[in-house]
Amino acid sequence: MPETVLAAESLTSGYGKAVICQDVSLALAEGEITCVIGPNGAGKSTLLKTIAGVVRPMSGSVRIAGREIAGLPAPRIARSGMAYVPQEANVFRQLTTHENLTMGAWTDPGRAEAACARVYGMFPDLKPLRRVRAGNLSGGQRQMVAFGMAMMLEPRVLLLDEPSAGLSPLMVRHMFDIVRRVNADGVAILMVEQNAIEGLRVAHRGIVMAAGRVALEGTAEALLDSSEVSELYLGTRA
Amino acid sequence: MSLQMIVNALVNAALIAPPAMAFSLLFGILRFPNFAIGGYITVGAFAAFTLNVPLGLPLPLAAAGAMAFTALVVWGAHVLVFRPMEGQSAITLLVVSIAVTLILENVVRLFFSADVRGFDIPLQRPWKVFGAHITPEQVEIIGWSLAIGVALHLLLAHTRIGRAMRAVADNPMLAAIRGVNAARVTAFTTAICGALFGLTGVFAGLDLVIEPLVGWNLTIPIFAAAILGGIGSPYGAILGAVLVGLAEEATILVLPSTYKIAVGFVIIAVLLLVRPQGLFGTAEIKK
Repeated sequence: MPETVLAAESLTSGYGKAVICQDVSLALAEGEITCVIGPNGAGKSTLLKTIAGVVRPMSGSVRIAGREIAGLPAPRIARSGMAYVPQEANVFRQLTTHENLTMGAWTDPGRAEAACARVYGMFPDLKPLRRVRAGNLSGGQRQMVAFGMAMMLEPRVLLLDEPSAGLSPLMVRHMFDIVRRVNADGVAILMVEQNAIEGLRVAHRGIVMAAGRVALEGTAEALLDSSEVSELYLGTRA
Repeated sequence: MSLQMIVNALVNAALIAPPAMAFSLLFGILRFPNFAIGGYITVGAFAAFTLNVPLGLPLPLAAAGAMAFTALVVWGAHVLVFRPMEGQSAITLLVVSIAVTLILENVVRLFFSADVRGFDIPLQRPWKVFGAHITPEQVEIIGWSLAIGVALHLLLAHTRIGRAMRAVADNPMLAAIRGVNAARVTAFTTAICGALFGLTGVFAGLDLVIEPLVGWNLTIPIFAAAILGGIGSPYGAILGAVLVGLAEEATILVLPSTYKIAVGFVIIAVLLLVRPQGLFGTAEIKK
């Protein structure tokens, strides 16, 4: 049984008094991709934000490799070996590609140079763009910068919020290839996807959220085959 | 436009460029137009005056002391006034910042009265360059202003803290996610900007006079320069300052000089109507 790298227990969170995520528990094993799917407003993104420390949990616990991080401010969580890629505004638009990547090594600047070289190796397309401001890049390039920034310090856990959102079909395939490749290097990934079929195809396990709660979970294959899932959330009738 | 007017415009620009850059930097981090800068500049002018005249320190030393003191005041105002009000709207904070200016100005008036003062420096004859007069102090102001522009550029573009300042101004949420401690960056930014406002007080005392309203009178041109350059863009602020300086001088050609003060207002009004992102700022796309 592989070690659990990320565990959330009875996590409840929201904005002000509005509760968005209710009593959510999940476990991410080492080297695993888990895809969270569900209709709009199900609380998928809020769940990720809560784990990343951007939204403060109202109750519950989040542990990374056994260490409690729930309630810590985001800058402290950035040092925990977990990296979060938000869905929107996930690059510094006024900073160049290279400066963006460097920001990914903020907590350990000594590693920045070697890490940049590694990320350029991962995304060769970014190398000629290193002096271009991120605000002037295409959507796909920007997503690569966001992803590369998160990969700078070789996190054990990666949180991806809708990595395929707003990308062309070709870029979507490219993006999921990258997700697979990063995962093959041993990074555990918790990913929220609107594109449920593609997301589940990449993932090992899936979680279906509805109205802020976990409605269903299982292996990605089982969820793809489940008629309940396909009718309710995938929009296809098996 | 005569050469004298261009010289005057450049001196004006050199006077307002550093505080306009500081105003822009502060806006980038704190997201509200801070009109307390008038009070900060006045505090800087009087701190330098106190060190220079009653205490008899040479002016460069007095200027350094004034910069340190104003940095402390600006940081203190942030900690005591603006930080507790975090989350309030920009308009609320703007009104509060005007109150801060009034308080600082009147504290200064309480201790120093409203008399007009000057630094204890030997009166020097202005130089004559191709028929235009320029005082040695004005040359120094231009020189320092250029040096500050270069230094700020190096800070923002090539240092770790400078990159963090731009990152926090650009996307505070992402900066936090990547581990940047915004409180520390903010403290550093207020201190740097405070030092620049303090220095502006010294320059204003050299070029104009030292009186409690000295900062307030500079506030509108500084604000105009900052938004002309695209608020939040410190490089734009430099060019904004040059344009405001030229516009003020050009006004004197056609209107009595009492209207000079209105130039800043006109620039602000026209710009906000026509191009709210400034000449060099990029429009923000709101979803």
